[in-house]
Amino acid sequence: MKSYHVSRLFILLFVLGFFAYLFGPLILMSLTAFNSSAFPRVMPWECFSAEWFGVLSQDARLLEGLRNSLFIGVGVVCLSVPLGLAGALMLTQVKDRMRPWYYTVIISPILVPGVVLGISTLLFWDRVGIMFGMSRESLFYNGIFLTIIGQSTFISAYTLLLFIARLQRFDPDLDEAAMDLGATSVQAFTKILLPFLKSTIASAAVLAFLASFENYNTTVFTIISESTITTVLASKVRYGINPSISALAVIIVAITLFGAAIFEVLKRRELAAAKETKLVAKGLLEKRTKKSFLVRLLDPALIMIFMITIAGVGTIYFAGTIGVDECKVIAREEKRKIIQEKVRRQQQKAMFKSAVPREDQPLTPKPEKKVKAKGTEQFKSVFDTQNLQGTPVPESEDDPASKGNDTSGNVFNPGNLQKSAGTE
Amino acid sequence: MKAYWKQFFLKNGKILGSYILIACIFWMLIMIILPQVFMIDFSLRTNVPPPKWGTEVHHYTVEHYKYMVYGSAKAQQSYNVVDLSVFFRTIWAAIMVTLIDLFLCYPVAYYIAHVAKGGWARLMAVSLIVPFWVNEILRAFAFKIMFGSSGVINNFLVWSGILSQPYDFIRDNWALWAGLSYAFVLLMIFPIYNAVETLDKNQIEAARDLGSPWWRIHWRVVIPHAKPGISSGCTMVFMLTAGTLAAPQILGGPSSLWFTQIIYQAFNQAGNWARGSAYALVLLITCIIFVLIVMKIFKVKLGEIAR
Repeated sequence: MKSYHVSRLFILLFVLGFFAYLFGPLILMSLTAFNSSAFPRVMPWECFSAEWFGVLSQDARLLEGLRNSLFIGVGVVCLSVPLGLAGALMLTQVKDRMRPWYYTVIISPILVPGVVLGISTLLFWDRVGIMFGMSRESLFYNGIFLTIIGQSTFISAYTLLLFIARLQRFDPDLDEAAMDLGATSVQAFTKILLPFLKSTIASAAVLAFLASFENYNTTVFTIISESTITTVLASKVRYGINPSISALAVIIVAITLFGAAIFEVLKRRELAAAKETKLVAKGLLEKRTKKSFLVRLLDPALIMIFMITIAGVGTIYFAGTIGVDECKVIAREEKRKIIQEKVRRQQQKAMFKSAVPREDQPLTPKPEKKVKAKGTEQFKSVFDTQNLQGTPVPESEDDPASKGNDTSGNVFNPGNLQKSAGTE
Repeated sequence: MKAYWKQFFLKNGKILGSYILIACIFWMLIMIILPQVFMIDFSLRTNVPPPKWGTEVHHYTVEHYKYMVYGSAKAQQSYNVVDLSVFFRTIWAAIMVTLIDLFLCYPVAYYIAHVAKGGWARLMAVSLIVPFWVNEILRAFAFKIMFGSSGVINNFLVWSGILSQPYDFIRDNWALWAGLSYAFVLLMIFPIYNAVETLDKNQIEAARDLGSPWWRIHWRVVIPHAKPGISSGCTMVFMLTAGTLAAPQILGGPSSLWFTQIIYQAFNQAGNWARGSAYALVLLITCIIFVLIVMKIFKVKLGEIAR
């Protein structure tokens, strides 16, 4: 029994580790967006600020990419949902002998690397364009058009799978009954089948949009000279990173969270409806309960989405208003103190080594490099030899004594260095 | 055949029937089959600019495939060491990443499906969806932040005294491997979870009552049942890892290439579309072979994999 508990504990730790691995990187990345440090990092934490979101909103290339991405996403939804539906309807009617072949072909884009799909789409339309003597400005050379086609190739297969799963629960007798009662085939389709598929169409649209929005491998080949948000992002990440990318990440994570949550709600609702229909059919339930719009809004998942949105917007809003500048000053001060402390220790060490402090040798040249022109003024007091003697120097930054041109005690005064270099 | 189409249009009506037919033909022919055929054709021709197409210079050849194996005729080595080593390293890494993900996911999927209780299990299953929808590039970016020389991991290692100097995880491809395993881990866990979940708990109970040790329960009861899920997950992870472009571009060390990066270079830098499509075809065939091997080993149908 004991070993049972040990193994239980082990697997629990494993699962916890797995979830930490899953969420840790994303949480860390999101945190870096709110740190005012110029390099995306969590440690050392400087200031809680939303300035990187501001930087982001002024990035013209990114906004252009975002616009294109949204347009492509809508295009992909408009193309892949009808295609997926047609493919699924065809599958139910194809001859039994042909079905495996048909299924293999139509599902293959899921199993083909995205890179290959992008390349083949690009080559094909390029060839077609040449065949028809199209100019380079025509649709066939338009990156956005090619990207919509290229992405739809496999996204249609995703939507197809959703439709197949739903159509398996459809009772074909309903269709036939409608036709027997005199409905035309189009009427039967719009009055019987489409309402049955309504929720699946909605979730397929969300899925298609998300898949299009985050696609990179196919897009990078078909986009040609245009840009989407993923290609802009990739080039940004490859050549130098800064926290504005993290800020963008936070926004995208928020959008995808939102989309995923809606997708989940739609799917759950669909499942619940299916269960209900089953119960009604079995005669266990009197009739389908109709929920009012208000009750539908009380879905726990929707409430959670709502709260998360408010929390997110609130965080960003407050991060923008709470004195970021003051915090930055404090952070600078703190950095200064740390460096000060370091230097003092090193100087003390040097004191112990030799009773006479050598003035012509800079102990550590680093602080001057780190703190720019303005900083050196403030730091002079640190290096004042008075400090070494143990008499505390007033902490004020603009200590007039240290500002003076009296270089006798100022180890780090550039002038002093020159002087000492001259004497050597 | 004629009777079949008559029946088809009778059932769907003229408008709907022709819509379904046109949509399916457009999708299958224009979007799936013809582009692949054109790519094969492209890869088997010489690389000449479009104005010269149709002339004598634009003839069929296998030079691009030859180039991948033997390199250019002027080169010193008798084999194209650079491209071949990148190819085999990519395949090797993809297989390793697949195995790592399988090792990570199987226990977790089993835990969520059968050990965890009620609300917890549902919460875990739902929370898996969140990272699944985050962009591949952003996931790679997250790993770049973590594994950078002043990233969290180096900070921790230096702080705790394990290392005296920050270690360059990116140059030695640690970041790439971790990032790749991370990027596609969810495509492994969902199929396995879906498969394991349908297993009747009573079967596990019965095996336990009959005195079977835990590893044999898994080997004889759980894994055979989860086979379609495992094969599906392995195929997806392998295919996506071998075919990924974003993660190696972002996380790869300066000296290591991924096979897709060579294809990308052929298209965007060398301007050699023919060679690029030849290499892409090699990648595609490799993936197909892998799928066929998996189908053979696990004895599953394609329909069970692509779900």
